[in-house]
Amino acid sequence: MRALREALWEQGFIELEPPLLVHGPALEANLEPVRAGDGYLHTSPEFALKRALAAGLPRIFAIVPCFRGEEHGAHHGAEFTMLELYLSNANYLDLIDVVEGLVGRAASAVGVAPPSFQRVTVAQLFAGEVPANDDDFYRHWVERIDPALVAPTWVLDYPSRQAALAEIRGPVAERLELYLGGLELGNGFSELGDGEELRARFAESAAQRVRMGREPHPVDEGVIEATSRLPRCAGIAIGMDRLVMALTGAGDIGDVRVPR
Amino acid sequence: MAYETSEFRNGLKVEIEGNPYSIVYFQFVKPGKGTAFTRTKLKNLLTGAVIERTYRTGEILAEADVEEQPMQFLYEQQGTYTFMNTESYEQVEIPGKVLGDDRVFLMENLEVSVLFYKGRAVNVTLPNFIESKVAWTEPAVKGNTSNNITKAAKLECGAELQVPIFIKEGDLLKVDTREGGAYVSRL
Repeated sequence: MRALREALWEQGFIELEPPLLVHGPALEANLEPVRAGDGYLHTSPEFALKRALAAGLPRIFAIVPCFRGEEHGAHHGAEFTMLELYLSNANYLDLIDVVEGLVGRAASAVGVAPPSFQRVTVAQLFAGEVPANDDDFYRHWVERIDPALVAPTWVLDYPSRQAALAEIRGPVAERLELYLGGLELGNGFSELGDGEELRARFAESAAQRVRMGREPHPVDEGVIEATSRLPRCAGIAIGMDRLVMALTGAGDIGDVRVPR
Repeated sequence: MAYETSEFRNGLKVEIEGNPYSIVYFQFVKPGKGTAFTRTKLKNLLTGAVIERTYRTGEILAEADVEEQPMQFLYEQQGTYTFMNTESYEQVEIPGKVLGDDRVFLMENLEVSVLFYKGRAVNVTLPNFIESKVAWTEPAVKGNTSNNITKAAKLECGAELQVPIFIKEGDLLKVDTREGGAYVSRL
């Protein structure tokens, strides 16, 4: 943590402390927020950090606990720690250098060799035949692709319907994921800069939530307004618990956290 | 009874495509921005074969109609093996093919665990270790210690295995039944 903070400070990133208790906890239909008081605990600091980015801070980050319901397992905790950072005047590929630098510093701090990453697109992983529906996509991912992502890897260019908060370019979203030690460590985007497009994605997510028999996520008007004022920028969220697991070889997320 | 993915546990007995399976591994997985799954490895209780299956969160598997009963071996007659439940004293006949190669370890009163599927005995689990006397073995060949450090032996229960050269007929041995019969120690 200290090595990561120092590396970010050296590159001019400002650390922010976003609110944990929020009214709009998420966009993605597959996230289950945890209720707290009259709102929710955030599932990531994304919406708050985008307000700060729209207000004119060019390089920001936060290292914060995040909360996600119905996620329990060796690689999932209901509470985990996330590093989220944003970079102005950048696209998703610019995140790669910054993050590889951070992972290298963290690796040196715990005394392991900095990993070198390969890059591969989703289309390449599916050998050109990306399933047209998400059910087939995720099943194939879980059964065939994820178990083979053992080497340090950047996975690039997801299908546009899995854009979440990424800009879409033709058939793909400018979205990337980071794999290290067989673990999915992080997810980054060229950030969507169109508020009305974001409103449409909230509506799409709500419709999907209703089909799943779940309550739709409340629309966060603040982040819609901020999105339209964003500079061209890119952001990525990295699970700190999994980064420590990947660097130390710990097999269970419970082994790298202070016990509850 | 049926089990939802969140109830999966190691050892849970479930029914898949007309076969009983035991869950031997399960893991919650959720690809980025995607739906959650439970990755499993399942052991077929009839054949012992292990398969891998992935279930979407919320999918349901039926409980397999299986029951394990503690039993004692009584006797064998024309390839049929008779066991007695040590609690109810009920007797059951099990064909030799269910026992497979394990039949050589059966001795009177040996306590085993019998798995019933839909009321039919489908598997017999032996204790990990049994004790049996050496019925026959070659005499040790003096001076020949460099090449053959083991020799063949046959136990009273019927099992044949390799033993150290110092073992004599009549010795009581402890044998590991899990690897088809491996010498552990002399008692």
